[in-house]
Amino acid sequence: MTAPPATVAVTVRDLAKRYGRRVVLDGVTLELGRGVTGLLGPNGAGKTTLLRCLATTLAPDGGEVRALGLDPADSGERVALRRRLGYLPQDPGFYPHFTVFELVEYVAILKELTDRVTRHREVRRVLGEVDLADRAQAKVRRLSGGMRQRLALAQALLGDPELLILDEPTVGLDPEQRMRFRALASRLGESRTVLLSTHQTEDVAALCERVIVMKDGAAVFQGTPGDLGAVAAGRVWLSDRPPTEESLFWRTADGRYRTLGARPPAGDPADPGIEDGYLLLLGGSSEREAS
Amino acid sequence: MTWHPPRDLVERYARGRLDPVLTMSVESHLARCPACRAAVPYEEEWLTASWERIEDLVDRPRPRLATRLLCRFGVPEHVAVFLAATPALARGWLVAMAGVLGFAVAAARLSAQDGPGAADALIPFLVAAPLLPLAGIAAAYGRHVDPAYESQAATPLAGWRALLLRALAVLCCAVALTGAATPLLPGPPGLAAAWLLPALALTAAALALSTRFAPPVSVAALAAAWSGAVAAGPLFAGDLLLAFSPGAQALYALAVPALLALVYLRRARLDPGETR
Amino acid sequence: MYRFLARRREPPPIGPAGDDAELLAAVAAGRTEALRLLHQRHAPWIRGRLARRCADPDTVDDAIQDTFVAVWRGAHRYRAGEGEVAAWIWPIAIRRLISTLRRTGPAPPATPYDEARLVTESAEDAVLVGVEHGDLGTAVARLSPELRAAIQATVLDGLTVKEAARLLGIPEGTVKTRVMRAKARLRGYLA
Repeated sequence: MTAPPATVAVTVRDLAKRYGRRVVLDGVTLELGRGVTGLLGPNGAGKTTLLRCLATTLAPDGGEVRALGLDPADSGERVALRRRLGYLPQDPGFYPHFTVFELVEYVAILKELTDRVTRHREVRRVLGEVDLADRAQAKVRRLSGGMRQRLALAQALLGDPELLILDEPTVGLDPEQRMRFRALASRLGESRTVLLSTHQTEDVAALCERVIVMKDGAAVFQGTPGDLGAVAAGRVWLSDRPPTEESLFWRTADGRYRTLGARPPAGDPADPGIEDGYLLLLGGSSEREAS
Repeated sequence: MTWHPPRDLVERYARGRLDPVLTMSVESHLARCPACRAAVPYEEEWLTASWERIEDLVDRPRPRLATRLLCRFGVPEHVAVFLAATPALARGWLVAMAGVLGFAVAAARLSAQDGPGAADALIPFLVAAPLLPLAGIAAAYGRHVDPAYESQAATPLAGWRALLLRALAVLCCAVALTGAATPLLPGPPGLAAAWLLPALALTAAALALSTRFAPPVSVAALAAAWSGAVAAGPLFAGDLLLAFSPGAQALYALAVPALLALVYLRRARLDPGETR
Repeated sequence: MYRFLARRREPPPIGPAGDDAELLAAVAAGRTEALRLLHQRHAPWIRGRLARRCADPDTVDDAIQDTFVAVWRGAHRYRAGEGEVAAWIWPIAIRRLISTLRRTGPAPPATPYDEARLVTESAEDAVLVGVEHGDLGTAVARLSPELRAAIQATVLDGLTVKEAARLLGIPEGTVKTRVMRAKARLRGYLA
């Protein structure tokens, strides 16, 4: 763990949430600063639940959140926070019979853009940001998956929020769109706080200044992408033959075997990457303690 | 054209500082000279503001039918756009409501008879009518019925304001449809309108229960309670219309403000982000 | 503005260099950016000209808005052979002003010419009057403001008597008599 981010926009302390008997968040503690932070973790680690608590659409069972200096547990401060918040849910639903323009305009009304001219200008602006301006009159049901994802991103950008919470924003985007999303997100991160969850370590390497790894409902790592790679320092090996021990390894493009953890026979040390650190963190804490 | 008015003359013209004859001269020159037209001074902010108003008029989708109708009734434009997205106001729902009412009216007319039993024919209608707004509220707002719920839940309007606005629209819609069907019924007009207070009371009760349970759960419980209450009349008191008797009506009338006050006090609990 | 995804189909470029007729054709094809360029080019002088006929800036702004919305809807009716686009827009603008006045009620009279701020006619100005109107200009200058306004509306702006009446806020009969009197005076001055 490294020092906290320079400007703290969001603080989470001991956040807990359970559904019935299943514990989803088990004392999450983290801090977010300005810039883009990536949230990595396997399915079921509690990423979406954490994001929903931060986006004020779900009340946690315990712990506390302070975002932009506001406490979402208080109904008044929660509304104030929502005025400065943009949220892309994991499964953004749509009204399929609406047009792209109508759908974004609808969310704009929910974001209290009551004046028609201002609202329409803002709708056009966000549609331009995600390059859906020329699809404004298309019915939502006719859009491809990637377009829907961009549409969902557009509504999150309404009102130029200071805090953006994006749950798997790159799902469904093709490589070119993904690259453009990265450019947009990093530009937004210059002056705002962006928290995005992803399965893709490449997304994190490409655009995140900080990364948080979640596992079993807790934040097990916070730091820079470089720090995450450093977790694997001295525990990444390349060998010509597969390791005999039970350890995490895979065959790479050049025909050698990359092993994480204990050194295999005749293994050469290799430079660790973000993915190595991430996999080792998920691999189990016992191994980590041993090193 | 070899001659152009000097720039300061054009500027004085634009500010209205020229005498009428010079004004006419400059105008007739401007009509023919693009270069001098371009020299007419203007403020950048004025041009931008003027363009934004125009752009919004030429480049905007035609409002939905529901939006236009609501605006016609004096609903503010942004509220009308908001309400037009209510799932319970979709065409399918309106058709379903009209269908239920049509059946109830037809049943009443077919079984209508003269004499003391005339009122009994109204029972299907009277039972069904208060359930319509109730069903509409179950389908108006919430995680399970609104596909875009999660995106909306993170907006400042989410929670009680969105729910109450939609519930009001659904109620008005159901009451208007039922009210339109009422004169078609046989039987005494006073009795034919006996659905109104139960409808209002059940709606208020649904909102009050929604501060504790999910709206569909609340509505299902109330629908069962209402059916039970209607059935209790003939079973225990021997009066088919006990649930619509003046005494019962007085009870509904008292319940409505009490329940609405409760909803208002507990409104924060209609918010998805509120700790339960 | 940053573009999330580059446009794949580039429509034929229209830039600030395009001539009015091209822009109008693009407007007819539904291109708002062409309308924007036309607005940028023509709104200032139209505003100036309308402001000489109606002293209320809000009414003028409303008329300009209506004018460009009408241009948007009617661009396909323009034929390049019919002359300049400016000459095509102006009648739309003056008629939109009149309809706006019909909605908002009669306008305050156009800015009364302020004698105190009278700009001394320079030699250059005098030349201009001669170039544009010759003797007619001097003759019109001698008319009373009421007669001049009637002549301006009916002859120079090409309005019908009914439209002129609405613009000037006077009955149609009065417009007719004033135009007749003005013409008689002018004949007298020019004789």
